[in-house]
Amino acid sequence: MNGPTRTRPPESQPGEGPLRLTGIGASPGLAVGPVVVLASEEFAVREFPIEPARVEEEVAYFERALESSRRDLEQIRNGIAAELGETEAAIYDAHLMILDDPELRRAVEEGIRQHRRNAGIVFRDYLSAIAARLERVEDEYLRERRADVLDVERRVLRYLVGGGQRGVAGITGPAVVVAHDIGPSDVALLPREHVLALVTEVGGRTSHSTIVARGRGIPAVVGVRGAAQSVRRGDLAIVDGERGTVDLRPDEAAVARARTRRARLEAEADELRELVALPAVTLDGRRVELAANIEFPSDVEHAASVGADGIGLYRTEFFYLDRASLPSEEEQYRAYRSVAERLAPRPVIFRTMDLGGDKVASYLGTTHETNPFLGYRGIRFALHHPEVFRAQIRAIYRASASGNVRLMFPMISDLEELRRATALCHEVAGELDRTGVAYDHNLQIGMMVETPSAVWVADHLARESAFFSVGSNDLTQYTLAMDRDNERLAHLYQPLHPAVLRSIRRTVECAQAAGRWAGVCGEMAGDPLTAVLLVGLGVDELSVSCYDLPRVKAAIRAVRWSEARTLADRVLSLGSAEMVEQALRSWGEERLPAVAHPRTRT
Amino acid sequence: MTQSEVVVVNESGLHVRTCGVFVREAGRFKAEVFVRHGDTEVNGKSILGLIGLAAENGAMLRIRADGPDEEDAVRALVKLVEGRFGNMP
Repeated sequence: MNGPTRTRPPESQPGEGPLRLTGIGASPGLAVGPVVVLASEEFAVREFPIEPARVEEEVAYFERALESSRRDLEQIRNGIAAELGETEAAIYDAHLMILDDPELRRAVEEGIRQHRRNAGIVFRDYLSAIAARLERVEDEYLRERRADVLDVERRVLRYLVGGGQRGVAGITGPAVVVAHDIGPSDVALLPREHVLALVTEVGGRTSHSTIVARGRGIPAVVGVRGAAQSVRRGDLAIVDGERGTVDLRPDEAAVARARTRRARLEAEADELRELVALPAVTLDGRRVELAANIEFPSDVEHAASVGADGIGLYRTEFFYLDRASLPSEEEQYRAYRSVAERLAPRPVIFRTMDLGGDKVASYLGTTHETNPFLGYRGIRFALHHPEVFRAQIRAIYRASASGNVRLMFPMISDLEELRRATALCHEVAGELDRTGVAYDHNLQIGMMVETPSAVWVADHLARESAFFSVGSNDLTQYTLAMDRDNERLAHLYQPLHPAVLRSIRRTVECAQAAGRWAGVCGEMAGDPLTAVLLVGLGVDELSVSCYDLPRVKAAIRAVRWSEARTLADRVLSLGSAEMVEQALRSWGEERLPAVAHPRTRT
Repeated sequence: MTQSEVVVVNESGLHVRTCGVFVREAGRFKAEVFVRHGDTEVNGKSILGLIGLAAENGAMLRIRADGPDEEDAVRALVKLVEGRFGNMP
């Protein structure tokens, strides 16, 4: 991993001039404000002897600390469960089990009774020894375990030696919170009305704390090495949760620029907020279903708050990646059901597992391949693991009883593949019928169109698929024969290439001929101008990130469908992506000046 | 006493939540349960002990139980590890 990028020589001292640190943009938003450093909690755990007469009192004192910690943890656990769901809350069940650990209790009691040492010191020694064993190895999983052990240690020490809440409760004014690390429980406790942004030295996009920050709408940059050492309380900071940058002690011009940019984003957000309850409909009445792409069950609230018509792409890989073992049908069912319930009557499209390629779950036997994107991935992988696939399909079917659920297969490139996958769904439906389990008998089963072969047999596929959703990222890579992870080919990643646009048009036409609907759920749909073009190509649905959704809606509402169709016809006659981009840009400058400028987030 | 060896097959090994599942399962039995990894043996009903084993994917564990239902305990726990801890997170 690279260290922070510094705009000043590394010998610059903390607290001096401007300094830019970079990390991982983990939760979007731009914030300007004073820094509050949450120092790693240093508990002054003193050792003192316990007089024989006070032994029982000390044991009782320890028991009370555990009991108070348990109450805190249960409260946090239930709060997280209510705010983000049971899956995210599960880690606290394990934390609660640590409080109940028989060896821990035995060791502490023995330390007090036989060695006459105070509870605080015995307790800390015991947990530190375990944390130290996990420290020896440079392994991400082990570090996570250590963080969990230390989280529990801090919680109990707060009661054993005092020292308070590590400043979380002490945040009483606007603050950019900087910490070496922050436990998910502390993120959950941050006062939302004061906290402008969160910056941590450790963590990744999928760590528990990050998920909680995103869920609470707190802009966050994580993995910023050296952040806590580089700041002093009161330093001004500009945090960009989109780009993953933290500007410390910026000069006045930079602050002014950031404030202007934030004011523009806020003004725009205010305007866009007025659109939340309004439909994505063109001036001449063409209604487009504008849905959101989500990945975590906790993203649902965000999707609802920006006025999504539904979820057009629920990426279920979340359940399979970054974890130790296969998710059970039950666990998936609970998560899918809660999403379906919260969105009902709006539809939710669950895309079945798209593993393989760059998404490797080694416990399922996925391995690294020479040509992963042309390899064992998506539906190919799922059909080779029918039991795993079946469990997911059952979970989705069962969830369909609680809302408006649709199911979609990834990476279909052949009619037989679609038939095999659909047959599995019918088997599942038969099982559920036989066992009297409820599900939606009208559940739509659709597929993604992401391969050129699917485009060319789309007429056949459309007869057996309830809908199409174009996955434009993969369709672009496969159509243009360019690896989108190869940096040297980045300039060839052209979703506006006529070959891609013609593929989309053909897909839409085949869907229409069969009386089906067609949508687009790739990145390109999130660009307002491109979204207008897609509407002109005849797509019925667009699914975009929650972040892009309001601007896309504004663009659709500002144009006529007739002019979008004319635009689409015109660009389809052009010969290269550059020509399409040029035509699109000049059309946009004339018709949609508000959105024609480059995205404000770039 | 009954004992058996088992290899940790889930990707991230004995992490906090899998240890929790193991402890819960071990707690169903009257027998005392011990888990050895390398030179370290810990109480199988202690989540901290298991976490401290730092057992990764591929680690060989020796599970040993002592008590009236020791055979059932070892069988159930081996099955749990082999079955990736009941497919829980």
